Amino acid sequence: MYNLRRFIIKHHFVILFILLEVISVLLLANSQRFHRDRMVNTTNDVVGKIYEWSSEVGNYFRLNNANEQLAEENALLRQRLSVVYDTTTCTFDISEGDTLYKYIPAQVVNNSTNQANNYIIINKGKVDGIERDMGVISTDGIVGVVTDVSRHFASVMSLLHSKSVVGVRIKESQELASLKWETNNYRYGMVEDIPTHILLQKGDTILTSSHSYIFPEDLMVGTVEEFYPTAVDALNKAKVRFATDFATLRHVYVIRDLHKPELDSLKARLK
Amino acid sequence: MNKTVLQIIRFVVLVLFQVLVINHIRLGGYVHPYIYLVFIMLLPFSTPKWQLLVLGFALGLTVDLFTGTPGLHAGATTLMAFCRPSIIKLVSGNIKFENITEPNLGQLGGLWFFRYVLCMVFIHHFALFFLESFSIRLMGQVLLRILLSVPVSIFLIMMILYIFKSEKKRE
Repeated sequence: MYNLRRFIIKHHFVILFILLEVISVLLLANSQRFHRDRMVNTTNDVVGKIYEWSSEVGNYFRLNNANEQLAEENALLRQRLSVVYDTTTCTFDISEGDTLYKYIPAQVVNNSTNQANNYIIINKGKVDGIERDMGVISTDGIVGVVTDVSRHFASVMSLLHSKSVVGVRIKESQELASLKWETNNYRYGMVEDIPTHILLQKGDTILTSSHSYIFPEDLMVGTVEEFYPTAVDALNKAKVRFATDFATLRHVYVIRDLHKPELDSLKARLK
Repeated sequence: MNKTVLQIIRFVVLVLFQVLVINHIRLGGYVHPYIYLVFIMLLPFSTPKWQLLVLGFALGLTVDLFTGTPGLHAGATTLMAFCRPSIIKLVSGNIKFENITEPNLGQLGGLWFFRYVLCMVFIHHFALFFLESFSIRLMGQVLLRILLSVPVSIFLIMMILYIFKSEKKRE
């Protein structure tokens, strides 16, 4: 016992170093696992608040752009509404039971595009009804998935993440594939697992598939930039230009799937 | 001003500058400068070794909180803090630290500091980018990130050190 104590005192520097490194690597390994099994909640209100203050300063310089974008979206939505909106009585013809998704608007308070694993922090959290695994979209296209929630903030795993996989569909052929990111450019993603008989061309549209429980069907993902047919592999790849501009992301919507609890309980019963 | 208060202010200012300003600079996909390391670099020579490690870990973990990568910066910064005593010995050679209590640009000179910063930044970035990718598959990309980020970090850190030095003279 005495020897052990002497040993620890003598080598305390190295022992402490190894201990701290082990803690770091464990934390890191844990955070890299699929977010559902994560033990440590990395989203926190203090950090969110600091980011919010800092982004408020920046927001003043971008008000013009943001206004224009929102006005455009408004116009688009009005156009779509004319189908269900009765102008003579000013009433909507949608019953609650038919609405599948609820959109919660949020603002991006912190965003990165240059890391190997990028996260976005938004200013809506548990009190606003945000939960893990909800999809996040922008006016232009899909953005990512909520991975952590604190009281007033949430962090979103952006498409620009080495572990990000989204089920997509090629609009022209209805064929399913999956979208990943190749860690170097925030403008482009990679669609993999395209069956060999499907040949894509530049400009082909990629949409979300109905098989994902995170995004509604037929949301814009991006357009094909370059097609890579492979002779050896059975499946082809294509480089895709994201519809969302991650560098200027400000206003986003979190999607709440109103049928998800029902789906989840059904899936649980199947197990 | 009290030395401890100065250290705390330095800690907070450097972390905020890193996460609110530097992390938002986009210089292509490969350049990621990190300047918060200045805090560990400027700790007094008499700082107990275990304190170096604990402070390095705490500093890294604070940055991790902001970037959402628990353990990543903590691991890299702890390694750098562990290497600090050896690096100081290595770059100093025969220089005597009789009246010098902490790394100080005015007393130790630009060349000493450049060598010191170079070693520290290199070790930190090497560990950081390897931990981040967590695989050998992306080796080429990781090396490119290190090669491009180290010079930018050194440049920014030296600039901060020079600005800090001129402020000290005015006091």
